[in-house]
Amino acid sequence: MTKNSSLILLTKITIIALIVGAISLPSVLEIVSPFWMLVFFIYWIIYTDSKALYFYALILGLLTDMLQGSILGQNALALLISSAFIFSVKKSFYVSNLTTQQVYIFIASIIYLIVLILTHIAIQGFDFSWLILLSAFTGSIIWPLVRLSLAKLKH
Amino acid sequence: MRLFKLLVPILISIILIVLDARFSYLDNFKRFTLTLLSPIYFVVDLPSHVVDWVNDQGSEKAQLVSEKEYLEGKLTELKVRLQSYNNLVLENQKLTQLLDATYTIPEHQITLAHVKSISQSRLKKQIIINKGSKDGVRNTQLIVGSDGVVGKVTQVTPLYSTVLLITDPTQHMPVKNVRNGIRGVTKGIATNERGMIVEFIPLDSDVKLGDIFVTSGIGTTYPPGYLVGEVSKVDKPPNEAFLTITLKPMQIMDKLEFIFIVSEKND
Repeated sequence: MTKNSSLILLTKITIIALIVGAISLPSVLEIVSPFWMLVFFIYWIIYTDSKALYFYALILGLLTDMLQGSILGQNALALLISSAFIFSVKKSFYVSNLTTQQVYIFIASIIYLIVLILTHIAIQGFDFSWLILLSAFTGSIIWPLVRLSLAKLKH
Repeated sequence: MRLFKLLVPILISIILIVLDARFSYLDNFKRFTLTLLSPIYFVVDLPSHVVDWVNDQGSEKAQLVSEKEYLEGKLTELKVRLQSYNNLVLENQKLTQLLDATYTIPEHQITLAHVKSISQSRLKKQIIINKGSKDGVRNTQLIVGSDGVVGKVTQVTPLYSTVLLITDPTQHMPVKNVRNGIRGVTKGIATNERGMIVEFIPLDSDVKLGDIFVTSGIGTTYPPGYLVGEVSKVDKPPNEAFLTITLKPMQIMDKLEFIFIVSEKND
């Protein structure tokens, strides 16, 4: 994939992830919904060869923070660390079957969740809904659908 | 080199977290970026706009629908005004009895707004409304619904504003008991969608099930007299200095459609 087409794909993915993330859901579904930006960004990491991966992760994380009204840097930090994990298993991820990929997505989502909760506890105290733990599962469950949709978008 | 590429953005994120959590240097930058991102809200809301537009077009009842919407808005507005006046009447009666005093009734201006979306953050309870700085909305303004207080404005862009609900754990609002004037501060509960607690009320205070709490107006951020919640549980923990009071919010957040932005008349 050329640098230009990689950036175009990233722009599309960013817009879609921000829109999907902003859709209003009932409160329980909202809490358990996947980390959309992470799941979409993982697709981009796997199928492109960008050297500025962490820079883009920082920017997308900050955009997510602003749109969600979170503390600036909270989602950015979580996205950076999860992206580093996915980048370290990129080759294995690329050749794995769908189920193994879902396991990788689950681990990345867990890392994202841990960073998000730790920063939340550090700033606002130990006060959150335990349902949020389910969001790692929903991320991995939704992965086949995301992969299929983004594959069509890529072409 | 790869580690350096990762560590620099991580460091930037941590610095931003500290700056944003402890100081307000980044507020203008956030407001500017959020303004650039606000078309996202428009896109998300587009399907409902289209449905409304299609329904309105060619419909013989379009006029009636628009009148109905206007009247619904007006009814909600009157209910909001009534909340404040009911409380003032009670206060007035008490004061007249005790002191034979007179006092001025504060006049509030209320602006109608529509709820665009309910919460897009799993760690925060907030809503987006279709009024922004162009309509005179400002940070920390009180937001009320037809049955009670909804929350306060926390972020403003030219077209949209974000409202942090009173049921959010980071939201603190000074309140008082309508029956006897006992004061406390509400705080949301993350694990309970429809619950709040009232803090700092001493153990020997007279608080009963069914008591109504309203905004006290202490601190001047929130105007007084708007309904907040009804006491649903009172606990007296043995080794604590304060009562544990659970409130059921008067306003059911799931059913919000119209809300009102409260401001002082001279704002």
